[in-house]
Amino acid sequence: MIGIVNYGIAGNIHSVKKAVEKAGGNTLVINSPSDFNLVDKLVIPGVGSFKDAMQELESDNFIGPIQEFSKPILGICLGMQILADLGFEFGKTKGLGMIDAEVKPILCDGKIPHMGFNRIKITTPNILLEGVEDKEFYFMHSYEMVNYTDIVALTKYNNHSFVSVVHKGNLYGVQFHPEKSREAGIKLLSNFIKL
Amino acid sequence: MTVRIIAKLDVKPPYVVKPVHFEGLRKMGSPAELAKKYYDQGADELFYIDIVSSLYQREILFNEIEQVANKLFIPFAAGGGVKSIDDFSKMFHMGADKVVINTHAIQENPDIIDKAAKIFGSQAVVVNIEAKRWKDCWECYTDCGRIRSQKDVSDWASEVEQRGAGEILLQSVDTDGRCRGFDTELASKIVNLVNIPVVISSGAGSLEDIKTLIEVASPSGVAIASLLHYDRTTVQDIKKYLSNNMAVSQ
Repeated sequence: MIGIVNYGIAGNIHSVKKAVEKAGGNTLVINSPSDFNLVDKLVIPGVGSFKDAMQELESDNFIGPIQEFSKPILGICLGMQILADLGFEFGKTKGLGMIDAEVKPILCDGKIPHMGFNRIKITTPNILLEGVEDKEFYFMHSYEMVNYTDIVALTKYNNHSFVSVVHKGNLYGVQFHPEKSREAGIKLLSNFIKL
Repeated sequence: MTVRIIAKLDVKPPYVVKPVHFEGLRKMGSPAELAKKYYDQGADELFYIDIVSSLYQREILFNEIEQVANKLFIPFAAGGGVKSIDDFSKMFHMGADKVVINTHAIQENPDIIDKAAKIFGSQAVVVNIEAKRWKDCWECYTDCGRIRSQKDVSDWASEVEQRGAGEILLQSVDTDGRCRGFDTELASKIVNLVNIPVVISSGAGSLEDIKTLIEVASPSGVAIASLLHYDRTTVQDIKKYLSNNMAVSQ
């Protein structure tokens, strides 16, 4: 059973849930701290701002259960970013502190948000990306995760490279939206389900 | 990164319709069927605009939106008649990834852009600008190209960027539905003015028109309606044509 963390009023959990099911997973939308015990894996979707997301997780009492979750976790977009120590969106905000990283505005000449299909360049082969190495994924973000130790793939936007996939222990994070990336995204989710 | 090819559905529930100059609606099919068709053709994204809800001050039909969202695994922007943060929230829960706003923001409450960007993130807030040329300028229109706002398109585009919009959908009341080419002058002006992505709509009559627009204005995306609705081309063909005929992909 794949748990999908429901937090905030923004929540695009509808599309994430639909995509995980399409990839062959059974889903449970997580609405209370006790729900975390019922699932084998966790997906943290993400829409909204770093600050609001952390406030929501705190008021839902979800921070502890996520930090203690020892089975695989997949963070999507903002859901990946909040795994970091610190975020700089609407002021400085403490993240979940599970990955040694900071989340900062994308600085490049291109239009921001970085929005559209783009490629990934794998730096460390990872089972999550099996079969989708040369595919394009949908990005929609203004901030990027700055990390040096857990990088699996980078993406280039207007000559600026940023981290697009990370992996550390039970944690996986993707800056793009697999639920919005056609068959490639579904394949990635099915790789995660099979972990 | 390549220019996004976006299928645009102008909807008067329960049908996708195709207006000319935003008038004279023709029924084209159901939103859910056409959404699936363009998804299968390889569209990078889908825009759904309920073009009459603002005009008739009717409630947004969220069920229709959910039915479209259910067919897709690509980004989906929905709009038409959005008046509150609660409307934004409902749209997202129905499966929209971005919400498109025009009339309410420009006529009554521009602050809704700031508020929505703060809560949902800039990337989820798209401002639709319906531009009509007047001498050397363009004026913003609302309510499906009918009501003048007395706002200059450049001023409004800059203002919505400042307020936190993550994207602009720029439509031309003059060229919409005529299939005689885009207003490339308007497109270049706004693409160069703002630092957020601009999606250009209104006027594609041929594959060359799309190529010209991309060469002249370098938009982030091109939204296509009539050409697709009348089966005069497919998204695959557009993409193939662009990759064969453009020196450097954007």
